[in-house]
Amino acid sequence: MHIYIYDDYVNTKKYDNALARIETRITDLGLNGKIIRLGLLRNINEAVENEIKRGAKTIVAVGNDGTVNKIINAIISAGINNQMDVEVPLGIIPVGNEGNLIAETLGIGKEEEAGDVLSARRIEKLDIAQAGNSFFISQARIASQGTTLEIEKNYSIEIMEPGEINVINLSVFSDLPEEAQANPRDGILELYIKTKAGRKLTKLNPSSNQSLFSLKKLTIINKKYPIILDNAIEISTPAEISVNRSLNVIVGKERRF
Amino acid sequence: MFKSQGDKEKIKEVETIIGPSIKVKGNFNGQGNIVVEGILEGSLKTNGDVFIGDKAKIAATIEAHEARIGGEVSGNIKIKKYVEIAASAKIFGDIECASMSVERGAILNGKCTMIPERKDEVKS
Repeated sequence: MHIYIYDDYVNTKKYDNALARIETRITDLGLNGKIIRLGLLRNINEAVENEIKRGAKTIVAVGNDGTVNKIINAIISAGINNQMDVEVPLGIIPVGNEGNLIAETLGIGKEEEAGDVLSARRIEKLDIAQAGNSFFISQARIASQGTTLEIEKNYSIEIMEPGEINVINLSVFSDLPEEAQANPRDGILELYIKTKAGRKLTKLNPSSNQSLFSLKKLTIINKKYPIILDNAIEISTPAEISVNRSLNVIVGKERRF
Repeated sequence: MFKSQGDKEKIKEVETIIGPSIKVKGNFNGQGNIVVEGILEGSLKTNGDVFIGDKAKIAATIEAHEARIGGEVSGNIKIKKYVEIAASAKIFGDIECASMSVERGAILNGKCTMIPERKDEVKS
């Protein structure tokens, strides 16, 4: 059975029409399933774990990047709790006009269009990164001010100017240089550091305050600023970031990797 | 890597870039080409090529396949093939390489040892 998990923000009047269109499209495609509506009282991890145990065919996140992150964390946690590799694929139906960068990067169109992607069921096994006790699929971001990076206990990186640090598994920002467009299937993270806010650069240029490292594990330390995962959730530091898990994800033909 | 001197050429197929406002401390081991424009302290080892920018400051031993040095290096340098020392370079350390060129104006304080280039060595 397909399990559709509606984030709490979509259960508002603003999205009534969008949800109606999505549900009609899903019915037309014969992809009906169970709907779970997230709310304050519902434990998402428990709900997802129960559905996986009951043999869910697909877990579909209906919402935005934050929803995708919550569901990924729930699926991975279910795998850890039950000491198994979860094969159930994650589907995504983006709702709303903002904060759907993950879906866009995976080639999933909005609302009804996402139904067609679900129907095509093109599955890719993608790396999932871990930061502290949380998981993310796209990138971890933190301000460079006061940040120290320790790389696999071999060396440390100190950033001497204000800027931004991105640890990228799946690059959701299309304006990043080609070299920083990480491949989410290679078990490697790209560490991209840009100091001094300047013009957007589509080509990597060392003399323009851009730095790039490829690595498997690093520790981020910053006493003041948090790390933002998947453009949605914040975690505090110190946090070790690594890429050591994977997840089946339904992607579109127009994916950017 | 350094046959053509264009800026674009130097970062072709680059694996790591240490930008101008970055300081790396420790033992950096890489497989691919590395560009250093910032500060590096410790050691730098790669199977690829190293490009050290004119403003880079390095207090480290360097081991690489080929190298172009434009900045300040304090430490021994061991290059399997060709090393190019630019006019802006200030090197305080010994160099071991198969072939080299030194541009007028470069400062080189150290022992220079030429080792024969081994034909069976394949760049990885």
